[in-house]
Amino acid sequence: MTDVASQIMGLRRARPRNRFVRVSVLLIALLIAGAWVVGPRDPERGFADGAVMRGFQLQDTFNQRRLTNLQNFLQRIRPYPMRESSWSWSEAASWSVDLLRDGGGEAMVNTLATAAAAIVLAGLAGLMLCWPAARNFACAQPFSHDVSQVRPSQRRFWSLLVVVTRAFLILTRSIPEYIWAFLLWTLLGRSLWAAVLALALHNAGILGKLGAETVENVDPSTPRALRALGASRGQLAAIGLFPPLTSRLLLYFFYRWETCVREATVLGLLGFATLGKLIDDRRVSEGYDDELVFFVLLGAVLVWVGDLLSALARGYLRRSA
Amino acid sequence: MNAATAAPIDRRMGGRRRGVLIAIALVGVWAGWRLQLNPADLWPDAAHWRAIGRFFLAALTPAWSYETEAPLGAAPLPIKAVYAALTTLIFAVAAASLSTLLGLVLSFFASTAWWADDPVGAVGSVRRWLRKTLRPTIYVLARSVIALMRCTHELIWAVLFLTAFGLTPIAAVIAIAIPYSGTLAKVFSELIDETPRGPSEALRASGAAPMTVFLFGLAPLAIPDLAAYAIYRFECALRAGAVLGFFGVTTLGYYIDGAFAMNHYREVWTYLYALLILVAIVDWWSGALRRRLTA
Repeated sequence: MTDVASQIMGLRRARPRNRFVRVSVLLIALLIAGAWVVGPRDPERGFADGAVMRGFQLQDTFNQRRLTNLQNFLQRIRPYPMRESSWSWSEAASWSVDLLRDGGGEAMVNTLATAAAAIVLAGLAGLMLCWPAARNFACAQPFSHDVSQVRPSQRRFWSLLVVVTRAFLILTRSIPEYIWAFLLWTLLGRSLWAAVLALALHNAGILGKLGAETVENVDPSTPRALRALGASRGQLAAIGLFPPLTSRLLLYFFYRWETCVREATVLGLLGFATLGKLIDDRRVSEGYDDELVFFVLLGAVLVWVGDLLSALARGYLRRSA
Repeated sequence: MNAATAAPIDRRMGGRRRGVLIAIALVGVWAGWRLQLNPADLWPDAAHWRAIGRFFLAALTPAWSYETEAPLGAAPLPIKAVYAALTTLIFAVAAASLSTLLGLVLSFFASTAWWADDPVGAVGSVRRWLRKTLRPTIYVLARSVIALMRCTHELIWAVLFLTAFGLTPIAAVIAIAIPYSGTLAKVFSELIDETPRGPSEALRASGAAPMTVFLFGLAPLAIPDLAAYAIYRFECALRAGAVLGFFGVTTLGYYIDGAFAMNHYREVWTYLYALLILVAIVDWWSGALRRRLTA
């Protein structure tokens, strides 16, 4: 073995290896193989199935009957006025305009408004909740050199505050928006407030967590200097922490706005007055598959509009000092 | 976007940020007006207060057995909750693995990293023409496909599949995988484009072929960030899998829906706790893994 080859071998042996990562990678491989081989188990039967591995039954889906269903579906989505005759763009356009005027346009605006209201509320909540969740700020003496005067009771209070805020943030972001909306639909009544709050709660958890991470990762030199000059907690936050937090949080805000537009569409499937309600109405009625697909395409247009607004706003912000 | 190609920096003190914040506030007010959101409406009436009270009281005493007569042969409630959580996990793993695979392939074509630079050495005119016309076309095509895949929510894909030919488990996995592959492809391609080019430039300068430069100069640097985002997508897939239960797939959402319909709030909380525990475990593990990957 040449000298270079043995050097390379030495480098390879000395590379940083993390046991946690290696075990995790093995676990992931096993999990993926297991998921595809075992497939979904029927929770109704529990242990009754023994060790039967069914996998994802491809023949259930890709068989003749379902392909026939799919072919029928592709014929059914032809717009109603043109079922018997040939395709004409003017017919399609007038049919589309009728659908838009009949509730489609209003549903689109409602969807955007729901997403906007929800993300604004979430942004406010995230901005307020990220402070008590950031360990370097929510402590007895943030950014100070001398922490000897801190009493144990003070330390416990601040720890408790951080833990409670983080628990709240984890709770709100672990429950999917759809399930939140489902719960609030029953508990708060059927107004759009339930949808807005559901989206706002979930995204407040996410934005709060991201905000807390930003505060924790801030460069401590400026806050420390301010503290050494005698700044109070509020002054410290306003001058040393708020500017980088706002910049970062605005970028996350627009990223979550994109998701909110998609979710607002989908929450209508529960019954809220957004685009999803029109889709759900067409789903349960027989023979309206053409309108169902039209509204799905409208949803795609809405998402495109939302993404465009978000990209424009983020580009605008990135160019600022 | 590096400094050399960015637009001139606006040096007014926070002017753009302030403008955006004001715009956001105005849009929020418009949205509230448009939806007729009256804060007074938030205060529930008596009937709803009772429901809310009962619901949150049930949180303290989740059900360990069925609240009413259980159907014959049904598994005990805790076992059912565990199996429902397991099924949710299996759906999420299947969907995330499929999406990561598709996303990787698609991101390769949608990033500029593998074809933007000319290789060192003489290149024939045909190959040069190919590079100028074929590869940008592939790039634009890949980006369009990604945009199409991303524009519809996974639940809407599920509704489409449900209407078209019924929602089998594999169809549910594909319904989640389509938008997730699109998002993963987009983020992967952006991460690949943003990786530092130092090692790849060095390899290129020493005469390596473009594929070698990509595989050995770019990919090892990009993989930790790619893996971190893929793990985040897996967490999202977990939640999506739970929600798909509302559409007939036997995950946690299916049982939450059923129990809620019968007003068995304590059972609802059993399944909710199962979901929260599942999400908490995966959240802890993924956070630990991401910290070690992107350290």
